Amino acid sequence: MSDLGAFTAFVGPFLPELLLLAGALVVFLLDVLEVRRVELNGGIAVAVTAVGLLLVLADLGVAPWAGLALIPAGQIDAVVTPSSAPLYAFTSLGLVFQLFFLISALLVSLGSMSRPSKERGGAVFFGLVLLATLGMMLVGVASDLLFLVLAIEVVSISTYLLVAYTRRDSRSVEAAMKFYIIGALSTVLSLFGVALLFGAFGTTNLYAIEGSAVGAPTLVLLGYGLLVAGLAFKVTLVPFHAWAVDVYDGAPHDVSAFLAGGTKKIGLFAFFLVFIGPILLARWGASFNPLGGPGVPIGPLLQVLLAVLAVVTMTVGNLLALQQKEIKRMLAYSSISQAGYMLIGITVATAPAIAGATLQIFAHVILTTGAFLVVAAVAALGIGARIDDWRGLGVRRPYLGVAFSFMLLGLAGIPLTVGFVSKFVLFGSAIQAEGYFVWLAIAGVLNSAASVFYYARVIKVMFLDTPDPTAPAPRPEAPGLAFQGMGYGRAAAIGLVAVLVVFFGIDPQPMLGLVQSAAQHFVLVGP
Amino acid sequence: MTTLPVGDFLALASGLVAISIFGILTRRNFILLLIALEIGMNAAILSFVYFAAFPQCVTAATCHPLTGQAIAVVVIGLAATEVAVGLAIVLALHRIRGTTNVAEADSLKL
Amino acid sequence: MSLTELAFFALAIVAIATGLLALLVRELVHTILWIGIFFVDLAAIYFLLEAPFLGVLQLGVYAGAVTILLLFGIMVTRKRIFSRDAATGVGALPIALAVVTFIFLIGALGQLPGSAVPAASYSVASLSTLLFNTEAPYLLLLGLVMLAALAGAIYLVREGRE
Repeated sequence: MSDLGAFTAFVGPFLPELLLLAGALVVFLLDVLEVRRVELNGGIAVAVTAVGLLLVLADLGVAPWAGLALIPAGQIDAVVTPSSAPLYAFTSLGLVFQLFFLISALLVSLGSMSRPSKERGGAVFFGLVLLATLGMMLVGVASDLLFLVLAIEVVSISTYLLVAYTRRDSRSVEAAMKFYIIGALSTVLSLFGVALLFGAFGTTNLYAIEGSAVGAPTLVLLGYGLLVAGLAFKVTLVPFHAWAVDVYDGAPHDVSAFLAGGTKKIGLFAFFLVFIGPILLARWGASFNPLGGPGVPIGPLLQVLLAVLAVVTMTVGNLLALQQKEIKRMLAYSSISQAGYMLIGITVATAPAIAGATLQIFAHVILTTGAFLVVAAVAALGIGARIDDWRGLGVRRPYLGVAFSFMLLGLAGIPLTVGFVSKFVLFGSAIQAEGYFVWLAIAGVLNSAASVFYYARVIKVMFLDTPDPTAPAPRPEAPGLAFQGMGYGRAAAIGLVAVLVVFFGIDPQPMLGLVQSAAQHFVLVGP
Repeated sequence: MTTLPVGDFLALASGLVAISIFGILTRRNFILLLIALEIGMNAAILSFVYFAAFPQCVTAATCHPLTGQAIAVVVIGLAATEVAVGLAIVLALHRIRGTTNVAEADSLKL
Repeated sequence: MSLTELAFFALAIVAIATGLLALLVRELVHTILWIGIFFVDLAAIYFLLEAPFLGVLQLGVYAGAVTILLLFGIMVTRKRIFSRDAATGVGALPIALAVVTFIFLIGALGQLPGSAVPAASYSVASLSTLLFNTEAPYLLLLGLVMLAALAGAIYLVREGRE
C-alpha cells in the first residue's frame, strides 16, 4: 500500500497533464475504430482542457475551486536547495502560464468544432492539440534545462505535424516543411547551448547552475548565447522571425491561432526560467558570477542583449505589419512585434515587470487566438484573405465585426481593454526601474501608438467602407451552419474572447492579483 | 588512459556546428537539410558525452559521472524521432508536388 | 602527444571531412555513404571517450537506422536513384557566415584549459540505474515526443481518401 501511496503522491499533482494524455489517446483510439465525428473529438478536447483549467485554478487557490487543489500547499513555490536539484518544480508563475496554455487550447478546440464533420484529419488535429498542450504544461513545471528542451520538443513535433494535417493542401505542407527546418535548427542551437552549460557546471539543473560560482567563462557565455538564439526562434524575435509569417500564413487557420496564441508562449516562459535567474543574481550581487574575478558578470550582459532584441523586434514587426495587404500576414507581424513588448518585462526583471510581461502574455494569448479564430470564421464564410475583401464585413456580419474590433482595440492597447491594462503595468514597471529601461518603455509606447494605425485601418475597412459591388458573392465552405454560418463552437469561442477582453479591461483585479503574487514568488524562489 | 584536452574537443564540436549551419543555409534539397541538421545534433550529443567526463561538478549530490552519457542516450532518441518526422513531411510534400526540393516547393512568399 | 590524442585527431579530421563531403557531393546516394561513415566515425570517438554503450547505440541508431531511413527517403522520392541535383550553387554569404561562426566558436572555445578524464567507474548497469531512476522524467518526455511523432507521421504518409 505504501507503494501505492507514494505513486499517488507522485502522480496526483500531474492530474491535468494525465487528463490531456488520456484525452489524446482516446481521440486516436476512436479514429482507429473509425468513429469520426468532429463533435465527439472536439467535445473530448474541450472537456479535458476545461477540467484541466479548473484543476490548475484550484492549485492556484482561486476562490470557489481551492478545495480541489492537487498539489500539497507546501510544494508550490517551495524553496529548493541546489543540492536536491529536482527536474521539475511547481512555481505559481508556472501554474499561471499553464492556465494561459489551457485557455488557448480550450479556445482553439472550441473554435475548431465547427469544421466539417467526419473530416479525416479531425482525430489527428484534436489529438495533436492535446499532446502539444501537454508539452506546454510540462514546460510550465520545468526546472532543468534538458527537461525544458524536451518538453518544448513535445510541443514542436506536435505542431510541425499539426501544420501539415490538411495533407492534400500544398501550402500547409510547405509551411510545415519550413516550420520543421527552422524548428529543428532551433533545437540544435538550444541543445548545443545546454551541452556547453552542462560542460561548464556539470549539471543541467537551473537551481544548481544558479547556486554555483564556478565554471569556465567562455563556455557559460556561449552556452547562454546559443540558448538565446535557439529560444528566439521559438519566440519569433526579430533576426529570427522570418519563418513565422510564412508558417502562420500557410498553416490552416485554426492551427495558426494555436501557434500564434498558444505555443509561441512556451518560448517566453523558457526565457523567464533561463534568463531571469542570472539577471536577478547579478543585481543582488550574489555569488553567481561565472566569469569570475573582475570580469563582466553575465546578468547585465544578458539584459543589454535582451533589451536590444526587444526594441528591434517591436519596431521591425510594427513597420512590416503596416505594409501588409493580407489580414493573416498583418496579424502575424503584429504577433511578432508583441513579443518585443513581452521581452521588456524579462529584461527589466523586477517583480512588477515580470507581472506586467505575464499580463501582457495573457492579453496576447486570448487576443491573438481570438483574432485568428475570426480569420478562420471569415475564411469559412468564403470571404477572401486580403484586407480589402473585408470591406463592409462589420455591417453584414455584425457579430464577427464587433468581436474582431474588440480584439484589435485590445491589441492596440486602447483603454477599457485588457491590452491597455497589461501595457500600462508593463511600461510602468520599466519606468519605475529607471536607468536605460526608461528608454525601453518609451520605445514601447511609441510602437504601441504606431500600431494603432494598422489596427484601426482594419476596423475602418470593416465598418465604414462599402463592399466592392463587382466582387463575386462569397461561397461558404460549409453552408447551413448555425449562427450566421459560423457554427456554435466558433461563435462561442469568439464571443468568449470578446467578453474576456472587455471584462479584464474594466476589472483587471482578479488576474492582476494572481499575476502579481506569482511574480513576487518567482523573484524570490524561482530558478 | 590519458586525457583529451577540452580545447581540441571543442574545436571539433564547433566545426561540426559550423558545417551544420552552412548546410542549412545553402542546401535546397530537403534530404540534405535533414543531414545537415543531424550533423548539428551529433555535435550536441558528442558534447554531452565528452562533458560527462569533464571534471566540473557544482555539488556532489547533483553530479554523477555518467549523467552526460544518460542525457546523450535521450538526445539520440530525440534526434532519431526528428528525422522520422522530417521524412514524413518530405513524403507528404513529394506526393503533392513531386519534388523534394525546397526551392521548387516554395509557393509561399519569402 | 599520447596515442589517445593522436587517435582523436585522426577521427576528428575524418569527421569534419566526411561531414563536409556529405553536403558537397553532387550525388545524393554518395551523400548517404559519407554520412554513414561520419556516424561510424563518431561512434569510434565515443569508444575513445570510454562510452561503449553510446558507441553501440550510435552504430545501431545512427549508422543503422537513420542512414537507412534517409536512403529510403531518397528511394521513395525519385524515379532514378542516381541523379545529380543534390548540390546547387553556393552563395558567398552563407559560406562567410559559417566561417565566421566557426572562427568565433574556435576562438572562444579552443583556448580553454582543462581536459576530460574518462569515467572511472563505468558500467552499463550504473548508466541504466541513472537513466531509469533520477532521470526517468527525461525518458517519459521522450516517450511523449515519440507518441506525437508516431500519430502524426502515420497520418501524414498514409494513403487514404479525403
